[in-house]
Parts: sequence; structure tokens; C-alpha cells
Amino acid sequence: MGSVDGMENTEVLIVGAGASGGVAAGRLAEAGFRVVCLEQGHWPDQSSYPAPRPTYELEARRRWSGSPNVRGLAEDYPVEDSDSDVAALMFAGVGGSMILYAADWPRLLPSDFRTRTLDGVGDDWPLSYAELAPFYERTDRAFGVAGLGGNPALPDGADPPLPPLPIGAGGLKVARAHDRLGWHWWPAPNAVLSAPYRGRHACVQYGACMQGCPEGAKASTDVTHWPEAIAAGATLRTGARVSRILTNRAGLATGAEYVDQDGNWHTIGADVVLLAANAIGTARLLLNSASPRFPGGLGNSSGLVGKRLMVHPFANVLGFFEDRVDSYVGHVGAKIVSYEFYETDTSRGFSRGAKWSLAPTGGPLTSALPTRAGSSTWGPGHHAHVRAHLGRTVSWAIFGEDLPDERNRVELAPGLTDSSGIPAPRIRYRVGENSRALLDFNIARATESLVEAGAYRTDYESLMRYSGWHLLGTARMGTDPTTSVTDPHGRLHDVPNVCVLDGSVFPTSGAVNPTSTIVALALRATEHLIANRRNQRTAA
Amino acid sequence: MSHEQLPDELRGWLRPLADALIPAEDGMPAAGRLGAADAQLDLVLAARPDLLRPLCRGHALTRGMSPADALAALTELDPVAHGALLEAVAGGYYAHPEVRELIGYTGQRAVPVRVADFPEYLAEGLLERVVARGPVYRPAG
Repeated sequence: MGSVDGMENTEVLIVGAGASGGVAAGRLAEAGFRVVCLEQGHWPDQSSYPAPRPTYELEARRRWSGSPNVRGLAEDYPVEDSDSDVAALMFAGVGGSMILYAADWPRLLPSDFRTRTLDGVGDDWPLSYAELAPFYERTDRAFGVAGLGGNPALPDGADPPLPPLPIGAGGLKVARAHDRLGWHWWPAPNAVLSAPYRGRHACVQYGACMQGCPEGAKASTDVTHWPEAIAAGATLRTGARVSRILTNRAGLATGAEYVDQDGNWHTIGADVVLLAANAIGTARLLLNSASPRFPGGLGNSSGLVGKRLMVHPFANVLGFFEDRVDSYVGHVGAKIVSYEFYETDTSRGFSRGAKWSLAPTGGPLTSALPTRAGSSTWGPGHHAHVRAHLGRTVSWAIFGEDLPDERNRVELAPGLTDSSGIPAPRIRYRVGENSRALLDFNIARATESLVEAGAYRTDYESLMRYSGWHLLGTARMGTDPTTSVTDPHGRLHDVPNVCVLDGSVFPTSGAVNPTSTIVALALRATEHLIANRRNQRTAA
Repeated sequence: MSHEQLPDELRGWLRPLADALIPAEDGMPAAGRLGAADAQLDLVLAARPDLLRPLCRGHALTRGMSPADALAALTELDPVAHGALLEAVAGGYYAHPEVRELIGYTGQRAVPVRVADFPEYLAEGLLERVVARGPVYRPAG
């Protein structure tokens, strides 16, 4: 850390200590860069996670909700989402939204990078699956992925470093059903340790991954990357909320303004600024960084900052079984996955497809008050209702590809601010016609799957509102500055010393959980930055 | 008002509502008997203090009504208070060790994962047949 006229300076400033910020900090510190990361949240305290407590499911609905609007913590910012079909979910803290994710760890498929060429929809990515594959393999090792190689849904490559987690009785029922149907299935890859790995403990099956893993078995950068990054010299400052990126007359970033948890305002100088604040937070920050030089927001000469928000419209189908499957034991991410209906088949009447993840259905409170498909019964019949749900259900979670649409967007919400007075975002998101047709088709097929597996009854939720985990696309990458916000390595076309590392850069969404792709892209972008350090333009 | 200072009147209002929502049936105890308005309510409100305000509102709206009328009125007049009531009653009930025992709930326990050397799906040849059916992705460079 240096200082000029009392102002702190660094070589690289990272905004956000989540998935991509952690990966970048670790690699940059290892390469000898001076790195400062500003994180609006705090270090998570594993001992405070609710998994072992009897009130776990109650706490999951408030303090440990994925929705910043429901949690309402000081470090959260509100997201105005009343004009959106899907609510945005995220977490502010070291590890970012990984603290509350399910750790489902699939990769995009090769066709996801070429939807325009193959299907005439969306846009091609400025890179291919083959180019990203080596980075996927490295991040799989760094995070400790459990899974099984040889999945015919993907090209050949290195196997996950750890054996797959158990698929459970429900997974086996459905796997056998797919065998009879001739449909694809595979044990799911999860960023949850199936065995001790690099000093971390294996999963102890609390079944509560989405409210923080008390064992540290679920991968999140607070346990996988930040300790080593800090040991290598990176500075991580928590409770530090960035309000805007600062620029000079040459149009280059000079650093950022931020406020600490005591309300004191600071500026920090940086040669390079990396944005890792998710596709809502990064768009918000770019828009909040508007100036006379950049009146529409930083990096927004294309007009695309904040636009093309994609969230993966999410449906789920519930199957009821006579015998117990106890899906609430074990990891929460997918037990098995199916890509049977992932690729485009024009006879279905829509483009692209969906990935299915076989998911658990929660404990007793969730059986009484379902958060996904299902209903409630009170008074007479309540106990029979809970018995039918609890331990006797599994759910196909259906992630549909979300085609980019400029009407779906992040913008600043007039009059709404966070607790520091910084303008907060609103999202506008509608499920498109293609997505609706896609989900309806897959709900019908997933119902067939569960019936074949022996379900005596099924239920479904055609669109889950609180499902906006996968925030993508609001600063898309590309080669043409008029139709993209960043170059193929996440660097803003307009401000070449600002780089976007998070899911904002996705040109299209694919139909899989995005974290594995986000971190692989972040590693690729970081290494590009390191390799080109001598050519990097800076304000200094 | 903190939950430690809850008036007896509110607890007295909640108890029959809890029994109406989760009655004694099928070998299961009613929620009121297991402390839905007493110790379990304290447990719930310690974990979820945000529920106190809508519960107090629900109490004010429906005091003196029969449980059936109160539940119907809350559904119609104050769905948030109704939701808070359901969460408080069910949350306390399913946190009770006796209930967990009776329903056979074995979740949230630290049981180290055991990875089978040769899982059933491999023994049954299920994955061999998935592989034999060939790639399900389109090559795209």
C-alpha cells in the first residue's frame, strides 16, 4: 500500500470479496501485485450459521434469506423489484453469495458459447468452451469439486478432483427411471467436499448449505481463497462500501470513493479497478459513476450497462413417494442432473433448453410451509400433509435458458438508497415467451420423470419468484464496443483500466448454475491482466 | 416490547389458535400442549424477533374471536400477520424435540459423509448405459 498526499494507493483495487473477487485477489497477490479489496459486508462467522439449531428453518426465512430486501441488514442494499417477475438474491460479505448458494457446480456446454451461430438466438460469446476448459479445471481444483468424470453432456476433460457425493435414495429412484426412459442423468458435480481436501473438512450432511456451511465443506472464497490471498499480501477491508469509480480527464479510472461502517468517507487510488460485485451491484456502481465525461454511467457508450439482465427463470416439480427418501440429509445442491432437454430441438416450439437438478425438499417447517412447489394444510389433516412431504419428496429444479432482452435491466431506483445514502438499484425483469414455453415443456417432462420413478403424486411451481440467484448479463462482453460493454477479457471498452469479473459479462445465460463459469472467467481475465501488465494503461 | 415481556393475554390468544392450526391428531400432540404460546414461542421470537410485531397486530385485530373466526379474519384483513402466526406456531412446533422424534426427522445432524467405493448406480450399470447412448451435447468448437 502506498500513499500520495495522504491518499491510499494500490496497484489493483477489487470491489467485492465474493466468488470472482476472491479468485482475482488470490492470483494477483500470488503474482506480486499490491491488492486492496473493498467489501461492503463482513467476514462470515461460521459459528453463527443456523444449520445445527432447531430454529434453522425459521432463521432461513429471515436473517439467512437470500433476499437482501428480506434480510434488511445494514450491509445490504435494497433492490426495488416490484416490477419484476423474479426477486434478486445475493449476500454481502467475504465469500459473497457463495455463503448462501447451493454449490451446484456445472459447466456451460459448448453450444452455450455459440447460440447465435447454432440456433439464431442470443449472441455468440467471444470465446469458446475449449478456451475456457483449462480454467474450469483449475478452478475445480481450487474450490474442491466433487463429481464424476465422463459425463456425456460435456467434452472429455480432467475429472473433478474428488469423488461424487451420495445421490441418496431419491436420486437412485430417479436415475433408474431415466435408465428406463433412456434419458440422460449423471451424478451432480458440487463444490462440496466429499473427502478432506487442502485442510478443509468433508461434508457432514447438515442439509443446510444455503444458510452457510458450519463445517467449511462447501466452497466459498472466504475459506478457499481469501486466507491464502491475505497471506500473500492482499488487503481485504470489510464494511467498506464503494459509491463510485473515480476517473480523470483522460477517461481512465484513478480509484474509488467508499464509505466505511462508521460512516467515514474515503478515496483510494488504484492503477486498475476490478469490479466483482455481481450483475446488479456492478451495473449499479457503473451507473452511479456517471460524470460529465460519462453521462450515461461509466463504460456505457454502448448504452448496454444494466441491460440484458438474465436470471434463469426457475420452475420446480415435486414428486411424492410412498417410502422415505430422506432428501433433507446431505448436500443441498443437486443429487443428480439431467441434460436430456438442454439442447435446442426446434420441434418443441422454442429455442434452447433447460438443465435439471434433483434437489432436496427441506425439513419439517418447509414441509408445513413449502417454499417451492406444494401447499399447506392447517387444522385436521395437517399431520398427514406433513408426513406426505417430509422425507418422502424430491424436486426437479429446472433452470431454463434466459435469452438476453434489453427490456430486462438494472437501473437506479429514483429516491431509493442504501443505509449510506448511495443510490440503490431497481430491476425490471419479465419472463419471455421463449422461456415460458421452455419451462412449460420441461415441467411436463420432469413430471413424467418423477412418475416413472414411482411418484404417486406430483405438484409443480411454474415460476419461483425468490429464485434470482443467477444474476447475469448487465455488462456483456464482446469485440464490438457498440454492442458490448467489455472486451473478451472483461475490460471496459471505454475505460481500459476497469475490468468486470462477475456474471455481468455473460453474453448469454446458458441454463446452468453460473458460479463455476464466473470463477473460471475471473481467473482467465486476471491472468490476462497479469500477462499484459506492461501494456496496461493507467492514470498514473 | 420485547418477547420476554409478552403479556399473558397475547399468549392466551395464541394458544387456541395454535391448537386449531396444529391439532392433536394421528398420534401427534397439539401445538398448544407443546408450548406454542409459551416456551416454544419464546424460542421462536428469540430467533425471529421480526414476528412479534405482526403477532401483536393480529392479536389486536382478532382478540375475543373464536379461533376459526380469528384465522378467517386474519387471512382476509392482514395476510402478513396470518403468515407470521403460521411461522410462529409451526416454527415452534417443529423445533420441539418431541415432535422431531415422532415424525422421524433426522436432519441437521453432523454425520460425516461416506462415499461409496462402488455406488449402487455403478453396480447396476446405469451410467454405462448413459455413456453408451452417446453425447447429449452439440460440439461447437
